[in-house]
Amino acid sequence: MDYVIEMLGITKSFPGILANDNITLQLKKGEIHALLGENGAGKSTLMSVLFGLYKPELGIIKKSGVEVIIKNPNDANELGIGMVHQHFKLVHNFTVLQNIILGVETTVRGFLEMEAARKKVIALSEQYGLKVDPDALVENITVGMQQRVEILKMLYRDNEILIFDEPTAVLTPQEIEDLMAIMRDLTKEGKSILFITHKLNEIKAVADRCTVLRKGKCIGTINVQDTTKEEMSEMMVGRRIDLTLDKGEANAGEPVLEVRNLVTASREHGRKPLKDISFTVRRGEIVCIAGIDGNGQSELAYAVTGLMQIDGGQVLINGQDVSKKSIRARNLSGLAHIPEDRHKHGLILDYTLEDNLILKQYFNPEYQKHGLRLLPKIHSYAEGLIERFDIRSGQGAITLTRSMSGGNQQKAIVAREIDYNPDILIAVQPTRGLDVGAIEYIHKQLIAQRNSGKAILLISLELDEVMNISDRILVIYEGSIVGEFNPKDITVQELGLYMAGSKAREVNHG
Amino acid sequence: MDKLRRILRSTGFVNASSSVLAILVGLVFGFVIMLISNPAQAIQGFGIILKGGFSGGARGIGQTLYYAIPIIMTGLSVGFAFKTGLFNIGASGQFTVGAFTAIFIGIKLNSLPAPLHWIIALLGAMLAGGLWALIPGLFKAYLNVNEVISSIMMNYIGLFAVNYAIKHPALKTAPTIFDTTMNLTSNTAPTSILPKSFLSYLFPGSTVNIGIIIAILIAVFMYFVLNKTTFGYELKACGYNKHASQYAGISEKRSIVLSMVIAGALSGLGGGLVYLSGPNGRRYKVLDLLLADGFAGIPVALLGLNNPLGIIFAGIFIAFITIGGEYLQSLDFVVEIIDIITAAIIFFSAFALVFRGFIQKMLKAEELAVSLDDNHSSLRRQNSGKETGGEK
Amino acid sequence: MKKAFALFLALSVVLTMVSCAKPAPKGYEIALITDLGTIDDKSFNQGAWEGVVAYAKANNKTHKYYQPTEQSNDAYLAQIALAVENGAKIIVTPGFLFEVPIYIAQDEFPNVSFILLDGNPNDGDWSAGAPTFKTNKNVVGVTYAEHESGYLAGYAAVKDGYTQLGFMGGMAVPAVVRFGYGFVQGINDAAKDLGVDAKLMYHYTGGFDATPEAQNLAASWYNAGTEVIFACGGAVGFSVFAAAEAAGKKSIGVDVDQSGESETIITSSTKSLAPGVELLISQFYAGKFPGGENLVLDASNDSVGLPMETSRFKTFSQADYDALYAKLKAKEFAIFTDATAENAAGLPVTNVQLTVVE
Repeated sequence: MDYVIEMLGITKSFPGILANDNITLQLKKGEIHALLGENGAGKSTLMSVLFGLYKPELGIIKKSGVEVIIKNPNDANELGIGMVHQHFKLVHNFTVLQNIILGVETTVRGFLEMEAARKKVIALSEQYGLKVDPDALVENITVGMQQRVEILKMLYRDNEILIFDEPTAVLTPQEIEDLMAIMRDLTKEGKSILFITHKLNEIKAVADRCTVLRKGKCIGTINVQDTTKEEMSEMMVGRRIDLTLDKGEANAGEPVLEVRNLVTASREHGRKPLKDISFTVRRGEIVCIAGIDGNGQSELAYAVTGLMQIDGGQVLINGQDVSKKSIRARNLSGLAHIPEDRHKHGLILDYTLEDNLILKQYFNPEYQKHGLRLLPKIHSYAEGLIERFDIRSGQGAITLTRSMSGGNQQKAIVAREIDYNPDILIAVQPTRGLDVGAIEYIHKQLIAQRNSGKAILLISLELDEVMNISDRILVIYEGSIVGEFNPKDITVQELGLYMAGSKAREVNHG
Repeated sequence: MDKLRRILRSTGFVNASSSVLAILVGLVFGFVIMLISNPAQAIQGFGIILKGGFSGGARGIGQTLYYAIPIIMTGLSVGFAFKTGLFNIGASGQFTVGAFTAIFIGIKLNSLPAPLHWIIALLGAMLAGGLWALIPGLFKAYLNVNEVISSIMMNYIGLFAVNYAIKHPALKTAPTIFDTTMNLTSNTAPTSILPKSFLSYLFPGSTVNIGIIIAILIAVFMYFVLNKTTFGYELKACGYNKHASQYAGISEKRSIVLSMVIAGALSGLGGGLVYLSGPNGRRYKVLDLLLADGFAGIPVALLGLNNPLGIIFAGIFIAFITIGGEYLQSLDFVVEIIDIITAAIIFFSAFALVFRGFIQKMLKAEELAVSLDDNHSSLRRQNSGKETGGEK
Repeated sequence: MKKAFALFLALSVVLTMVSCAKPAPKGYEIALITDLGTIDDKSFNQGAWEGVVAYAKANNKTHKYYQPTEQSNDAYLAQIALAVENGAKIIVTPGFLFEVPIYIAQDEFPNVSFILLDGNPNDGDWSAGAPTFKTNKNVVGVTYAEHESGYLAGYAAVKDGYTQLGFMGGMAVPAVVRFGYGFVQGINDAAKDLGVDAKLMYHYTGGFDATPEAQNLAASWYNAGTEVIFACGGAVGFSVFAAAEAAGKKSIGVDVDQSGESETIITSSTKSLAPGVELLISQFYAGKFPGGENLVLDASNDSVGLPMETSRFKTFSQADYDALYAKLKAKEFAIFTDATAENAAGLPVTNVQLTVVE
C-alpha cells in the first residue's frame, strides 16, 4: 500500500496520563483521512508529535515508506507537512499576499521580491478555486476567506500533506460546503488530507477513511462508507450515544425575561451595536438565538446580564426592570448565566474548584459570618455539587481549576449556575469545544431545567444544537432579530439563509 | 512513599523550595562576583555573607530584624497589591508620607502619653499612606489610568511634598521638625518612640524594637484577610480575573480602590515603624532621592511569592544578606562591589516564580518516570478522570 | 501555614551551612569609619585616611576603612562594633556626625581608642538647651578653627581682585558653618581694606554628595556674574569644579589641597587633617595618647591655612599671606564662629552684599 505518512506505534505520556498509547495512523496518498476523537483523546498530542513538538517514547514516523526523524516544525515543513490551525495564525493588518509569504520571503539584494510570489499565489488560487484577492487586508475579509488564506499558505510552501484542525468550527453552513468542495479538489490534485474533527456529519460527507482515538488509545481505522454515524460515535465515546433528544412539547408559562427595544452603541472597538431588539422568554421553554458568530450574540448576552451598559430599551426579569441594576442585583433577582468564554468570564482559573463553585453565593449568610468564610460549609457544598454533577478533577474540590479539562470546567459552571436555582438561565454556546459525551450531558441538563419550569435563553452557533433542543428560534443578523421560527417548520438550509442575511422576515414579538 | 510524594507535590513545598532554589542561585552568582573581584578572599567572604547578621552576634541579629521592618511592610504592600492584580510601585511615596506623618505627630503632639502617642503616630502613618495610594486607586478604577504610571508620579509628589513640608517655615516653631545642622528631621518625642520591650534583652545594642513584632502580626493578619475572609476572596478574585469577578457581581472598582488603599496603608505604616525608632535609629533625611525601602519591597514580595507569611521570611532574608554585605567590609572588598554582590543575590532571589515553574516541571518529569514504571496504575488514575496535560 | 513552615525549614538549612564558614582574620589595627560620602571624596574622609595610611605604611601597621550603610547613630555604632570585632585598636572617625556614636562607644569599648575629628563626644540631647558632653580617657576630640581658614581664603580672594563670590557649603554642620562665617568675614575685611563692595551668594546643599542640583545652582551663580565659589562640602566640590570649568570661572577648594582636582581652583582652605591624624596615631603607639582631651587646632599651631605653593593667585603673594597669617596667629582680631553668630544672614558685614539662598 502506498502511504505518504505513517505514524507507527506512537507512545507519548505526560505525568499521570498516557496521552498516546501505541497509536498507528497511516495516511494514503490522495485520500481524506479523518481523525476522530473527543477532547482529551490524544489528537493534539499525536499532531504535536508529527510536528516535532513532542518526542514520543516509542514509535516511528515514515514518509513514503522511509523512516524520518522530525525534531521541530521546520523539519515537518521540509517533509511537506502543513497545518491549518483551529485559530488562524494570520497578521491582521497585512495583506493576504504578505501573510502567505511570511517566513518564506524571497529577496533580491535585501528587497522583497513580491511579483513572483503574487503570480504563484494567483495561479494556486485559480487552480484550486479558492478565489482569494491577494491584495485584500486580512482584517477586511471573512473568516471563511481567512481560512482559505491558511490553505494557500500551505500550498505556497508546496506541502503535500495537509492537516485541518477542526476547520469547520468557525464557518457558516454554506462556507462549510465550500470548504468540503475545496478539500475534494485538493485530493484530486494529489494532496493528502488529515481532517481532525469530532463532528460525525462532516466525516460522513467528505472523508474516505477514519481513525478513531479514545483516551489515548487507537480504537481502529474504518472505511467511512461502510460505517454508520452511530457506530462511529460509539467507537469514539465507548458507549452508545443517543444522538436524538426526546424532550416533549414545550409548556410555556408566564414571561420571565422580557427584552424591549434594546439598543447598544458600538462603544468599544470590535463590538457590534444592537439595533432595537425585542423578545420574551417564558417559563418552561427554550428560546434559541441562532446566528453566525459576530452578529451581536455576545453583546446581547452582555447587555441582558449587565456586563455591558445599554443605551436604550429595557430588560425585565419577572416583570421588574433591571436595566439599570448591578450584575449582583440581576443575579439575585433570578438570572443565571453560562458565559460564552468560560476562561474569561466563567471561571477564576487560579482558584480551586470549590472557590469557583461558590462564586455566586460566597456572600450568602450560609457561607460566611461577619465576613469570615465558613470554609467547611463551602467545602461540603462543593463536594455535593461535584457528586451530583459528576465533575471530575485530580484532587476533588481543592483542584486548581486551571488544571481541569475543558469539559469538566464547563460542567462546573453549569452546576454552579443551575444549582443557584434561577428563573432564567442564559446559556451562551454552552457546548463549545466539548466532546460528544459532555454535549449530551449539558443538553440533558438544559432540557431538565426547562421541564422543571425554568426559562432558558440559549445562544448557539451550532445549528444541530439549535434545531435539536430549542422550542423557538430567533435568528440574529447584524445586531437585529431577522426571523422567528418553530424548529419544526424550517430546514437547516433555510435557517442558514436567514443567518447569512439573504432573507429576513417580519418578527412576531411573542 | 505515597505520602512523601504528596508532600513533594504540595504547593507549599513547591513554593518554598522554589524560593530556596532562587536564593541558592543568587548566592552562587554572588560568589562568582566575589571570585572575580577578590579571588583570594572569596571563600572567606562568602562565609561572611552566609553568616549574615550572625557575624554581629546578638546586635547583628537585632539589626537584621530592624532592617527587615521596612522591607517586610513594603513587601506586604507590593505583595498584597500583586495578589489583587495591581502593581503598586508607589510604595516608596506611600512610605515617605507615612514616615512624615509619624514624625510630625511624634514631634508636634508631644503632650500625648506614651503608648497612645506612638499608636496615634502609627495610625496617622497608615492613614497618610492609604490616602496617598487612594489617588492612583481612584484613577485606575474610574479613569482606567495605569496604576504603575500614576503611582510612580505619586512617589515624586510624595517625596517633594514631604521635603517641602519639613522645611516649611510654618513648621519651624518649636518643637521644630527639621534639624538644619544635620539636614535630618529632629528627634521625635520620647513618648512617640516604639518601645524595645523584651527585645532589648535579647538583642542588646541593636535598634530593633516592637516594630518587628507589629510587622509580623500585620503579615499574619494580611494572610488571614486574604485567605479566610469574603473580602480577601473578592479582592483575589479581581486580581486573578477581573472579568469573571465582574460576572460574579463583585464590584471591581471598589476592589481596586480598597486594595490600593490597603497597600498604601501597609507602606505608610512601614514608614512610621522605621522613623519612630528613637534618636539612634533612622531619621528622615531631606534629599531629592526616592527612598529605596519602597522598591526593596518588590524583590521581597517576589521572593515571598506574594504570600504574607512568605514575605516575613523573605524580608528577614534580604535584611540578613544586606547585613552580611556590611560585614563583608571586614575583608578587602570595595564597598561598591559589596553592593553589587548583595544586589545580585537579591536580584536572583526575586526569580522565585521562575524557579517554581522549573520545580513543577522537574517533579512532573520525576513522576513521568514513575508512571512509565507502572503503566497500569497511571492509566487507572487517568481513567478515573484525572486530566492534567497533553490536550488543550 | 505549610508554605511558611517549609520556607522556614529551608532557610534554617541555609543558615546552618553558615557554621562551617571560617571567621575573618583578626587583623586591622587602625580603622577609619567614613561618615557620609566615600573614602575618595578628595576632601575630609580622604584627608583623614591619608593620615592613617601615612602612619601605617611607615610603621607597618594593618589598617582599613569601613563605610556605614545609612546615616544613623546605630548604623555608625554597628560599624564601630565591626571594626572592633575585626581587631581595631584605634579608630578614627572623621565627622561631627560621630559625636553621639562615640559618646556611646567610648563606654562600650573601653579598650579601644578613638580619634573624633570635628567634634566632641556628647549625648545629642538638646532638649535641655545643651547636650551632656563627656570625653573618656580613650577618646580625643579634635576640632579645628575652620573660621580662620575660611577667613584666609575670603581675604585672599578679594585681595586678588575677585569681588563677586559664592559659598556653597555641604551639610550645615559646625565645621562647614565656621568655614563659611570666616569666609564672609575675610571678604568683608578685605573689601573694607580695599574700599570696594563685594557680593556673596551663600548656600548649604544639605549633603556631602556631588549632585546635579548643586552643579546647576553653581552654574546659575556663575551665569549671574559670580567669579569664584568656595566649595565647602566634600564631594559637593566636584559639582562646583565642573560648573566652574564649564563657565570658565574660578573656585576654592576645602579641607585639603585640592589644586590637583581642577585648574579652576585658585586656592584651598585647608585644615591639617592628615598630619593631625598621623600625629595622634603616633602618640597613641608611643603611649602618649592625649585621651580625655578636646583639642582645638588653629593658626597658633599651624593647623589651618592656604597652600600658597600650589595656589593660583594673580597678585596675592606669599608675603601678603605671611603678614596676614601672623596677625591671625596673634589673634589681633576676632572672627565670627557658630558660637557667636546665629546664622549667616545675621553676620554684621559692612562691605559685602550677602544673599543667603535657602
